[in-house]
Order: sequence, then structure tokens, then C-alpha cells
Amino acid sequence: MGTINGSIKLRLAHVGKRFDAAGRAATVAVDDFTLDVAQGEFLVIVGPSGCGKTTVLNMLAGLDRPSAGSVTLDGREITRPGPARGVMFQDYALFPWQNVRGNVGFGLKHGPAGAGLASDARARRVQDCIDLVGLNGAEDKYPHQLSGGMRQRVALARLMANEPEVLLMDEPLAALDAQTRLILQDELLRIWGQDRAQSSRRTVVFITHAIDEAVFLADRVAVMTTRPGRLKALIDVPLARPRNDATRASAEFQALSQHIWSLIRDEAYRATVT
Amino acid sequence: MATGAPAARANDRIAIGVLRHLRGAAAFFVYLRTMLAFFVVWAIIAWWTSNSVLLPSPLAVFAAIGQLAADLELFFHAGISFARMVGSLMIGALLAIPLGLAMGLSRTVGEVVDPTIEVLRPISGIAWIPLALFIFGIGNALPLFIMTYAGFFPILLGTIAGVRGVDRRLIDAARTMGIPQRTIVTRVVIPAALPSLMVALRLGVAASWTAVVAAELIGAPSGLGYAVEWYRELLATPQVMAFIAMIGVLGYLCDLGVRALARLFTPWASDARSAP
Ligand SMILES: Nc1ncnc2c1ncn2[C@@H]1O[C@H](COP(=O)(O)OP(=O)(O)O)[C@@H](O)[C@H]1O
Ligand SMILES: [Mg+2]
Repeated sequence: MGTINGSIKLRLAHVGKRFDAAGRAATVAVDDFTLDVAQGEFLVIVGPSGCGKTTVLNMLAGLDRPSAGSVTLDGREITRPGPARGVMFQDYALFPWQNVRGNVGFGLKHGPAGAGLASDARARRVQDCIDLVGLNGAEDKYPHQLSGGMRQRVALARLMANEPEVLLMDEPLAALDAQTRLILQDELLRIWGQDRAQSSRRTVVFITHAIDEAVFLADRVAVMTTRPGRLKALIDVPLARPRNDATRASAEFQALSQHIWSLIRDEAYRATVT
Repeated sequence: MATGAPAARANDRIAIGVLRHLRGAAAFFVYLRTMLAFFVVWAIIAWWTSNSVLLPSPLAVFAAIGQLAADLELFFHAGISFARMVGSLMIGALLAIPLGLAMGLSRTVGEVVDPTIEVLRPISGIAWIPLALFIFGIGNALPLFIMTYAGFFPILLGTIAGVRGVDRRLIDAARTMGIPQRTIVTRVVIPAALPSLMVALRLGVAASWTAVVAAELIGAPSGLGYAVEWYRELLATPQVMAFIAMIGVLGYLCDLGVRALARLFTPWASDARSAP
């Protein structure tokens, strides 16, 4: 089982979530889910589609309340969304009427993240985040004029601009082609600060259904199973940082991926026949 | 080969451009041919009935249009009707949009107001004319009232649908940035609902313009509807038809205008359709 280093940032204790539908049996999306995430940790949740990953993330974000158990940030119950926890949604959720600059600066302009910042300081931070994700030159484009990879970068820049303590990311790379995906995995680690000490990194909870992606990014991988959504295993990923293409080619990387695949293989096969 | 691909693509683009022009020209010829057939049939029927009060020949109508345009009477009445439509639309939008926002955002407001709306909505604006005559008499107020009434419902329903149809994820995204509720309404819900609001406005313009003739026919001393009625009493059918044609053309232009406004205010919504 995975070990935790440093202080606990997020804690899910015996969390359950059921959706009651009128006239039908309730769906138990998540059941008895217990997990601690350390400050500065990059935690990845993997699991087949429909196993409750998004539900877990929504509860961490405060968009949804658990039906059982508790979800805490720094020991305090999470009851609603807050700027300390930034979310990157599966479908990006960019504002279509705002251009890249407007999207990235939205939280700074209208939310608490920009409080106390002069407008030129705000503009500078927005530009920094746009540069960070390599979107300079596209500042005045609207989401519908961008490719999937570029939209994804806008969503990432928007997340970073608000400087949340915790980053919650729901399959952010799922819609991309294989090459773009590898490039953005590298960039994500760079932006997260994999060269820095753990205490100065942000805490990340990252969802994916791609095992190699999970192993490449994570300090620990939480493997989930379906119906009800449960935590099946917590796997330490002791691969050295900074990680790069050499990491992907290493035997250790392959072995870890194989191991995780063996954990969810049966279920994944079952999912293809049902 | 490296330069071959972009060049080929540029050629394709030119070819597509030419094709589009050809298609445009072809469509125009088809249109002309249809119109010509229409006028020929009309002329034959007119010649056969040979009753210029019942059905004047196309030439007589064209002559009437020319004469009414020359002494500006056509434009005078068109201008008045148009101004009334713009005025009533502004009143209608000013009433319907805030109410629609409230009904769309708050379940309680929606449930309280909805029964009244559902009862009033099937009553055509024209049905109110006799009552409105008592209240407003003949003048500007009556057509303004009828046209506002007609335009109000499409705008209201479109606003409600727009607000209720806002992508939940956009609101969630704003909430996770810690943005206050009021700001979410003004900066997320309203812009997100704007494309359907523009569609609603288009339907409102159509409804209010359709009501113009009926409203002015009885209740106004000027305007296109009044002119139609005036020339009808003189049995001057070519003039009547000239004004009717003006109603059609102006209605079409208004629709084009609202669509242009929609493209201007919601470029993301109109561009998105042509985007891949
Ligand atoms: N709002 C909801 N109402 C009812 N059922 C839901 C709702 N959200 C999720 N579910 C159900 O909960 C389960 C887990 O969903 P989700 O967390 O979206 O899975 P994942 O993100 O892992 O694909 C699924 O069976 C899904 O149908
Ligand atoms: Mg999901």
C-alpha cells in the first residue's frame, strides 16, 4: 500500500455517494472511499469509465456533498467550492464568449484570486500563465477557434492563474491525440514544478483512465473499481523526478504499468462485454 | 513536397470560392426564374379576370409602387410602422428579459408567474384590439400596445429557455474560482444565455411585425396598416398591394438586421456553426 510523506492536505474518510433517482434504485457511485493526499503530492486516480472518479473529484471540489463520511481540506470540512481548490473539467468548461485572455483572467477579474492585485499586475499574471502553457500569439482567439490541445492549454492556464493550493483535474488529456498528450504530460510536470522541493509544490489530484499516464505523472496511483466505486489499491510510484522520455522507456515504468493493468484487467474486460 | 501541400490547399480554397460564387449565381437565376414565372401567372390571371379592383396587373402594382415611392408616401408610412415596431420591441424586451431571467433563475418566481403567462400566451394580440380601443383610443398607443404584446411572449419564453439551458459546467467553473453568486449571474449566466436570447429577439420581431397591420388597420392614423385600409376604401388595389409588398420586404429586412446584430453580439455562437 502507498505511503504518505509530509502533512496531509486532503482527506477522504469513509466517503460514500449515492444518487437517488425517482422511481428507480439508487446508484451507489462511491462506497467507503478512504484516501489521504499529502501536501505537494501528485496523486492520480485511475479506473474504468463509470467507476466514480468524477464523483470523487466533485466532492473534493465541493460541487457535490458526500452522502456518507467526510471530505476535508487542511482538517476543515469541504462544504462548497472555494478558490483554494482549482478544478480543470473533463470538457474544459471554457467560457465561449471570452477570448483566451478573458478566460485565463476570469477568476482574477471577478473572483477573490485577483483581490488586492492592481490591473497591470493582473494582466502580467495572465500573460505569464499564457506564456507558461505556450499560447502566446493566441491571446485574442476564442475557444471555438482553437484546437482541442489549445483549449486544454487555456483551461490549464486559467487554473494556474488563480494560483489555487490544490489542483483537481478530471481527465484533462483524454480528448487529445497521442502525441499532444505526451507533450502535455511533460509540460504539466514542468508547470507543477517537478524540479522543486515537495513542500513548494502544489497538491494535485489528477484523474485518468490511461495507466501509462498515471504512472508517468504520479507520486501515488489510486486504483478504483466499479459498482460500487471503491478504492482497490494505492500504488507508490518511486520513479525519480524530473521525469522525461527516458522514464517512459525504463523497465521500472513498464513493470508498474503492467502491475496496475493486472489489477483492473478483469474488470476492464467485463466492462467490454456488459 | 513540403511546399506542395499548402499550395494544393490554396488551390482548393480558390476552387471552393469559385464554386461558391457559381452556386450563388445559379441560385440567383433560379430565384429570378421563379419570380418571373410568378409574375407571368399573375399577369395572365389578371388579364383573364380583367377586374383591376379584384386583381390589378403586376404592371399596375409596379406603377403604384413607383408613384408612392416618388412622393415618399411609401417611406413615410413604412418609417412610422418601423419606428413603432422598434419602440414596442424595446418595451417588450425591457419587460420580458428581466422577467425571463427571474423566472429562469428562480424556481419560485417561475412557478408563481408561469400560470398567468400560459393563459395569456394563446390569446393573440389582435383579440385585444377592441378592448385596447376603449382604453387607448386611436393613436400611437394602441399599435404600440398590440405590437409589444405580440413580441413579449417569444422574448420571454426564449429568455427562460436560454437561462435554463446554460451549461452547468460553466457555472461550476465559476463557482470553483470563488466567484460570488451575483457576478455569476451577470458574467456567466447572461452571456451564456445570449445566443438563445438573440433567437428569441428574432422571433419577437417577427411576431410584432406580423401584428403591425392588424393594429394599425383599426387603431392608428398612420403607418402601413393604416395606408392599406385607406387605399382599400378608395378601391385603389394597386396601392393596397404596394403597401402589402412593403410590409413583406421590410419584415424581411428587419429579420436580416436582427441576425446581423446576433452575429455582432454573439460571434462565438454564429461562427461556431461553421467551425469544425
Ligand atoms: N448526477 C448523477 N445522477 C445519477 N447518477 C450519477 C450522477 N453522476 C454520476 N452518476 C453515476 O455514478 C457513477 C460514477 O460516475 P462518474 O463519477 O461520472 O464516473 P467516472 O468519472 O469514473 O467515469 C456512474 O454509474 C454514473 O452513472
Ligand atoms: Mg468522469
